[in-house]
Amino acid sequence: MKDKKEIKDLVKKLTKKEEEIRELIKAEDDWEPVGPTPMPEITDLRSWDMRLLKTYPPFYAPFCDLCCLCTYGKCDLTQGRRGACGLDISAQQGRIILLACLMGCSAHAAHAGHILEYLIDRHGPDKKIDMGTFIEVEAPNIRTVTGLKPETLGDLKHAIEYVYKEIAHLLDSTHFGQEGSALDYESKALHASMLDHVGMEVADIAQIVGFDFPTSVADTPLVEMGWGSIDKSKPVILVVGHNPATSTVVIDHLREKNLEDKVEVCGICCTALETTRYSDKAKVVGPLSRQLFFVRSGIADVIMTDEQCINTNMPEEATNVGSALIATLDKAMYGLEDASDMDTGEIIKRMTENKEHFAILEPDKAAEVAVEVAMKIAPQRKKELVTDEEAMKLAEQCTQCGICESVCPNLFSIGDGITALAKGDFEPLKELFNLCIGCGKCERECPQNVPIFKIMQVAAGTETWKVRAGRGAVMDTEIRKVGAPITLGTIPGVIAFVGCSNYPDIEDVADMVDEFARRKYIVVLTGCAAMVAGMKKDKDGKTVYEKYPPDFDAGGVINIGSCVSNAHISGAAIKIANIFASLPLRANYEVIADYVLNRVGACGVAWGAMSQKAASIGTGFNRLGIPVVLGPHSSKYRRLFLSRKEEDDWTVMDARKRELIDTAEPSPEHLAYVTETKEKAMVMIPKLCIRKNDTPQGRGIKLNHYISLYKKYMGGGLPEDLHLFIRRVADIPLIYRKEVMPYLEKIGWKQKEPAGLPTFIGTYPSKVSIDSVIH
Amino acid sequence: MATIPLHRVNILTGTKSAAILETPEQFVKTIKKAQRPLIVLGAQLLQWSLDGKSALEYAVDISKAANFAICATGHLKGKLTELEVDPDCVYDAVEIVNALKDPDWKGVRGEGNHDLVVFFGIRSDFQEQCLSVLKHYAYKHLKTMTLDKYYFPNANFSLNNIRKDEKWKEFLDSLIKGLQSAG
Repeated sequence: MKDKKEIKDLVKKLTKKEEEIRELIKAEDDWEPVGPTPMPEITDLRSWDMRLLKTYPPFYAPFCDLCCLCTYGKCDLTQGRRGACGLDISAQQGRIILLACLMGCSAHAAHAGHILEYLIDRHGPDKKIDMGTFIEVEAPNIRTVTGLKPETLGDLKHAIEYVYKEIAHLLDSTHFGQEGSALDYESKALHASMLDHVGMEVADIAQIVGFDFPTSVADTPLVEMGWGSIDKSKPVILVVGHNPATSTVVIDHLREKNLEDKVEVCGICCTALETTRYSDKAKVVGPLSRQLFFVRSGIADVIMTDEQCINTNMPEEATNVGSALIATLDKAMYGLEDASDMDTGEIIKRMTENKEHFAILEPDKAAEVAVEVAMKIAPQRKKELVTDEEAMKLAEQCTQCGICESVCPNLFSIGDGITALAKGDFEPLKELFNLCIGCGKCERECPQNVPIFKIMQVAAGTETWKVRAGRGAVMDTEIRKVGAPITLGTIPGVIAFVGCSNYPDIEDVADMVDEFARRKYIVVLTGCAAMVAGMKKDKDGKTVYEKYPPDFDAGGVINIGSCVSNAHISGAAIKIANIFASLPLRANYEVIADYVLNRVGACGVAWGAMSQKAASIGTGFNRLGIPVVLGPHSSKYRRLFLSRKEEDDWTVMDARKRELIDTAEPSPEHLAYVTETKEKAMVMIPKLCIRKNDTPQGRGIKLNHYISLYKKYMGGGLPEDLHLFIRRVADIPLIYRKEVMPYLEKIGWKQKEPAGLPTFIGTYPSKVSIDSVIH
Repeated sequence: MATIPLHRVNILTGTKSAAILETPEQFVKTIKKAQRPLIVLGAQLLQWSLDGKSALEYAVDISKAANFAICATGHLKGKLTELEVDPDCVYDAVEIVNALKDPDWKGVRGEGNHDLVVFFGIRSDFQEQCLSVLKHYAYKHLKTMTLDKYYFPNANFSLNNIRKDEKWKEFLDSLIKGLQSAG
């Protein structure tokens, strides 16, 4: 039992902590009252997490039977066994998931911290955050999570330092002998992933303000994409990764020297997207899955790497094709000599004459070296793409041993395409190229040393596409226009295609975007998904960016930007709660997440999710109440959040009547869901846009799409669970009423009362009152 | 030496790996022991063809011969309908696996949870993960089996890797005959 002094000290300490937070978030600024959870710590939103996990418990698919994280192990965790530390298989999965989310969150947070430091150095901490005429809610994630309304670059430091601090606590919990509950690990993973959205928002606001990226505009330029768009007669600089600190300086340098039209700057992965936000003359080679293909083509005279999703064998890859390599960030230095303080002339000499690669962490120097080296070595470049005849000759080496299929993460046999090519049939290889995720394992393992990537150059072709440059945040004016139709359901949903390029088939994303934009969903995209959506043309030769308007409105297709721009997607959902529904954001995460879950018909699709960043981005959407559909590879993340629609309790509070209602309606049905085929995803996505708040008109529109997509992709009939989503006859789309009514009668369907103002608040212990959800 | 799955992404990191059944007779014997067997069919069955007969048709023949309850995953339902087969349920793979984890689940025919679950035709990495769920969370109340031409370490019973489709076809034909004979 604590004595009075101890209790007094404890109270004093807590009060001091609260005071510190209030100071950091400038609580005295009365733009909104400070909500219940300013800068929340691990336990502050735990009750919300546990409520989510009650309806959507973790579904674990262990990737490994063992734990090998300490020297007590390896510990066998099969058949109910516990490790030496006491952990069971479920808690171990939660622990691994938390680690993955922390890796993802750290990658973005460190990116944010670096870019912020760099930009504060350039512009000063008092540089004002101005997101343009049409964006007043500049930082919805930061406002909602921390309670801070950042006004300057310096203010953003408070947000990112908060994220750093929480990461340390969360990582601590994964140490031996700490957390022992799977559910608590999941709560921590949800916390880490919410922080990820704060970190991403810091990064992209800093970039928009510091680099003058587009903002408050929808109609950003269409930029060239595909390696066919690169003028190989010029020196070529390739930027790879995610952090545009150096690539923007390369552009600056070229502009200063009047060389912008004389040197090609192209990019892979998110640095490509960031660079095209800075210069519409920059080109996008393609997503991550095209990285090795392009590097091994040798077209790039200089390769500049920054951070995240870069092939870690880049020095050897560059050497093999005679490209020069500059590593520009401390996170990925590949054992190279740090030339940041070396004389520029000396670096250039050694790179051109000795073919050495260097790490250069000083952006101005790295940019100058890159341009000079590219211009010096480009004239000597003798690298040409392979000809059809050469490819056929090389393909003859294949003995069809099958090793390439064995090691392929996408489980296909490139050998089939290679042997067909050897006989003059190019089509199979072209088709297989769409399945290739570009890891290069097949070529590394080939016992005949068949140069598979070189041969595949004939499949890669020189086709070019258009991708719209990333536009950053959704405008407040757009939210005002669509807030009502989204929450009423008359715009059937907002679908966010995000994440990496580990696709079953690279054309899947473009097909899905086209299907949903045509049906007047709002389609937003980021990262690799934003690129590949543009890598397919319709019969008129148009990509989805040319076919659909760029507005955040029904039928719009919007490239939000890079990975860190995902914060603008969660931000848009938050802004609907704030701008349309007038709910205060400030340190009010639980209320906002509850609103999004129950009333905003949004669904994420991470069809090619591969990285730990994708795990944290997706889990962050989940904590905010946005379900995510994943492609089949994502079963290897080990954890989903699934309900069991007919067995589970779908009771919510009707905030207007203040009574509990058993809706028996599984909406949204799952929070994190893997499906095997594009066709099934096409059916699940519209279902996950259904919300209890839909008006009869809105529900009718949503069910119309659900039924018609089911008929189109599942081969006819009605969805087996359709009755669960029909509350009254008025919900049934007119066009299907004749077919649906007999079905409902047959199964004994009974009319249900729709929930007026559905909320989880009031269904679980929470500090938040039911009054706070009524606006 | 332990058997390595054809697709290396499915290499077992652990202790409990599938027993390889070598002959159709062994499969028939194991299947016939089950009281409430279920077959979970995947979209790969639409891709595979053996000497002009689709793998889905094989799956249907096996299901009929064994009186399997059928779960259609992915977008298989339409093709099954074309073959005049009405699956007992249409779930995606993770949904049926989620239900199978629960020992008290009533099963797709309402007769209780299944005691044998046969997987056939889901892409191999995803199928292996589905099998992992059941290996870890349903080991007390059900067994799993696969009929694909690959070795699946997380199943209870699996075929070995079969490189030649003729061999696989031979196996499937014999399995159908064996099940029919066993009644």
